[in-house]
Amino acid sequence: MEKLISVLIYLIFIVSAPLFIGIVNKLKSRLTGRLGPSIFQTYFDLKRLLRKETIYAQSASFVSRIAPVVSFSSILFAGMILPIGFYKPLISFNGDIILFAYLLGLSRFFQILGAMDIGSSFEGMGAAREATFAVFAEPIYFFTLGSLAFIFKFTSMYDIFHSISLNDPSFIIFIIVSAISVFFLMITETSRMPVDDPNTHLELTMIHEVMILDNSGLDLFLYQYSSYLKMLVYATFAADFFNPFNVQNHIIGFLLYIIILLILIGNLVWIETMMGRFRMKNIPRYLLFAASIGILNLLIYTFFNK
Amino acid sequence: MENVLNILFCLSLLYLATTTRVDAYLKVFVLQGILLFFIVIMPLINRPSVFTLILPVTILLVKAIMIPLYIRKKIIIELEVKRNIESNLQQFNFLLLTVFSMIAVFISSNMLAKYTYIDAIPFAAAFSTIIIGLYIIIFRKKLIVHVIGFLVIENGIFLLGISVASEMPFLIELAALLDIFVVVFLMGIAINKISSTFSVDDITALDELKD
Amino acid sequence: MYLILALLGLPLLTGAVFFVFDNLKIKYAFSIIVAAIHLAAACLVFSGSNVPDFEQWLRFDALTKLFLLILSNVYFWVMINSYQYLFFSPVAKPEKSRKIFYNMTNLYLFANTLALISNHLGLYWVALESTTLCVAPLIYYYRDKESLEAMWKYLFLVSVGIAFAFIGILFLTLSMHGTDAFEKGLYFSNLIANSTKFNMIWLKASYIFIFVGLSTKIGIAPMHPGEVDAVSNSPSPIAALISASLGGTALMGVLRMLQITSKTPVYQFSQIMLIVGGMASLIVTVVFMFRLNNYKRMIAYSSVEHLGIVVLGLGIGGIGFIGAMFHLIYNSLTKMALFFMAGNIHRNYKSREIHNVFSLLKDLRWTGILFLLAFLAVVAMPPFGIFFSELMIFQGLLANGQYVLLSAVLFFLLFIFIAMSRNVFKMMYGSTKINEAEINQTNKPFDEKLNITHLSTAVILCVLIAMGLFIPPALYNTVSEIAKSFNF
Repeated sequence: MEKLISVLIYLIFIVSAPLFIGIVNKLKSRLTGRLGPSIFQTYFDLKRLLRKETIYAQSASFVSRIAPVVSFSSILFAGMILPIGFYKPLISFNGDIILFAYLLGLSRFFQILGAMDIGSSFEGMGAAREATFAVFAEPIYFFTLGSLAFIFKFTSMYDIFHSISLNDPSFIIFIIVSAISVFFLMITETSRMPVDDPNTHLELTMIHEVMILDNSGLDLFLYQYSSYLKMLVYATFAADFFNPFNVQNHIIGFLLYIIILLILIGNLVWIETMMGRFRMKNIPRYLLFAASIGILNLLIYTFFNK
Repeated sequence: MENVLNILFCLSLLYLATTTRVDAYLKVFVLQGILLFFIVIMPLINRPSVFTLILPVTILLVKAIMIPLYIRKKIIIELEVKRNIESNLQQFNFLLLTVFSMIAVFISSNMLAKYTYIDAIPFAAAFSTIIIGLYIIIFRKKLIVHVIGFLVIENGIFLLGISVASEMPFLIELAALLDIFVVVFLMGIAINKISSTFSVDDITALDELKD
Repeated sequence: MYLILALLGLPLLTGAVFFVFDNLKIKYAFSIIVAAIHLAAACLVFSGSNVPDFEQWLRFDALTKLFLLILSNVYFWVMINSYQYLFFSPVAKPEKSRKIFYNMTNLYLFANTLALISNHLGLYWVALESTTLCVAPLIYYYRDKESLEAMWKYLFLVSVGIAFAFIGILFLTLSMHGTDAFEKGLYFSNLIANSTKFNMIWLKASYIFIFVGLSTKIGIAPMHPGEVDAVSNSPSPIAALISASLGGTALMGVLRMLQITSKTPVYQFSQIMLIVGGMASLIVTVVFMFRLNNYKRMIAYSSVEHLGIVVLGLGIGGIGFIGAMFHLIYNSLTKMALFFMAGNIHRNYKSREIHNVFSLLKDLRWTGILFLLAFLAVVAMPPFGIFFSELMIFQGLLANGQYVLLSAVLFFLLFIFIAMSRNVFKMMYGSTKINEAEINQTNKPFDEKLNITHLSTAVILCVLIAMGLFIPPALYNTVSEIAKSFNF
């Protein structure tokens, strides 16, 4: 029975991924004084892409054909590891925090491969940038979640997030600080505003968008969908830091999760509206800053809480 | 709870190593002053009296209000200091250096805590603060940033004093605070004069005296 | 009680009241009176008058007595001569600077005296920091680029250095943890009595921080630049104050630390630190003596050298320690003489460059002769006191069997002597390379009259010779009492 609910929840999760971005876009428009598209606009976009024909470049090899599928499905898998609300995730075993990181890594890897495969110079540039920032973004994940794993002596995502409690007041700060780190990670990995502008129209300034310039039809659909999904996966990951707090009830847990996601959306929109884009050469610095927060946590809590 | 404040102190240092704005430096300094106020006042909460409150309130007054106001009004606004700190070292490398120094300090203070009477986290936080203050003085060019680096060192020393539980007589603490304020006051005057006579306000201007 | 008022109350009161009125002559007269009263009080303290210690806050042991006398003596002479330099300034008279001159010197006297007689490490620190604050505006006396830069560097370097000394003080508290001394606080008497029970690692760390931090203010290598810039760009009275009295005050902290460590295993380490500092100063002086072209900087570096020798003597211990104490006294006298005369040269030639000064003996007869004599004193020529104190330090080196160190010191001193005499004789006898017309313009006879600076310099030099030949028994007793308190 519980398995069935988990599956159901995960299905809702997948389906509502475009909605999440839709809400973000809508709110962003309203905050800048525009009416903005409907929150379901992302669904219409996806539907349109499905109708279109898939065209491959002449220079494309089989890599371009499998890249979107691999990329999409690895993110789909990664999402199964995350606890949503108080529900037990579909996949959960000791060490799944590593799997989570590498599933997302695999997705990015294939996206980069697919971009390089075509041989367009713009896409190569985008791929190089994506790879560079990934190098700086990865430590954020490992230091943040690694410190959590050290503290609780668990290596499964579900166990870690379910042992967070508020008994120690210094923990609140720790959680908030980690969530800030993860928020940085989310912005980088999903190419949002201060790091990368998803709405830019100049190829030279793009990071993520430039990689899928040559894709169309079903492939583009998969890429778009996986980017929506990735957004929700990371948002859930950030929300999980606040989520359980010893709430044992499933329904309340789920509601809390939704509320936290909404707060997260609020923050994201606020930052995207208020901040200009970082200069490309300054991005590694900010990523290192986020990673060093994780290092600090690791230092403080592994050495001193014995 | 005191650990929370110390962690926030460390975070403020990381931010100091990341940002490139003079204004942000000043804001971080204000934040540190407020944190110091809370750190000092925390043990006094159980036995409140007017006498014990004098020191924390003076700290708040000097470090979070008077010095920042003086620097902002008399230097940053009056001299129209450009908002960018001039650095000898790329910001990314500076941050790396900071992080590695902090790791070294934390590990060594953890080792020290095993056989001496120190509180590991405040001690490590204090020492990282002193070291990062020094780095700021070494690697930045702007004189006003040097002053803030000096103040950061002073904050670190104050934190160190708390972490080693050194009970200086009350009047000496006040006199030390007054001294620091006068130092900053004089440095402010000096920067004022320097920027009017040299027409730049960074350390590269000061190379008249050498052998 | 009256003595405390004379030593602390009067200078503070005078310094504060001087902010109210402007008349420079009245300020001068009052300052001399204050200085004379202070000197008298210091002499009384020196001769063993009873002074209250204000619940252990103040301390009057042999060390304090000696250093107080040095400070008071320097201050007295500086005050007497200051008027000359204030009114016949080499650059356009800086009105603003003159207004605060006597205020600041009086406050400086207060802060410096407080630092010397304090029995509490924290009080010493605060007072020492205040001396920096009092001196810094005076370094900026001429209000030009160089003095501004010198003031900034001095203020900044010394402030950071003193901040480091404070870290050392905190480490000292750390080393006291767990002993009963911890409850009693950072009083020198308490620290010296209980030092054997301290944690040795922290005591060592504390010594390193305090020594390195204070050496910015003592002016020994490698922390000397702030001090050298300050001394060479400030007016002569201030230069004399900084180099002849302030260095000693900062050295006092190091001496107290040495006293604390003297019974512990850290003592050997602290001696090595002192010797390293002293040798580094000598090396730095040798290197820069050959490169510089500014006679005030030359004297400043000579001050680095001599404080280096003092520190070296302290590190050697035994007879070397006694030599170092005498060297400190003689050095303070010699530095005053040199700076007074350098001030006269600067006033007349309007330049601090060596190559702009020539045929000094002919043009400025009195100044020339006295400068030459002071130079002979500072390079340790026999009838002058410095010769004998250096001899004592060498004796200490010999007694310890450190022949390599001794030969190195002699070698460095020889080269410093060569470099300094090259510069000084160029000033005394050299002729200029500038063409004839300019010579006629600049080389006009200065028509120097004998004034108070010459008289006081002559007196100082006579005292220096007299003390070299015949050490007053009171002084000798005090120095041997100091040595006894260091277990020699």
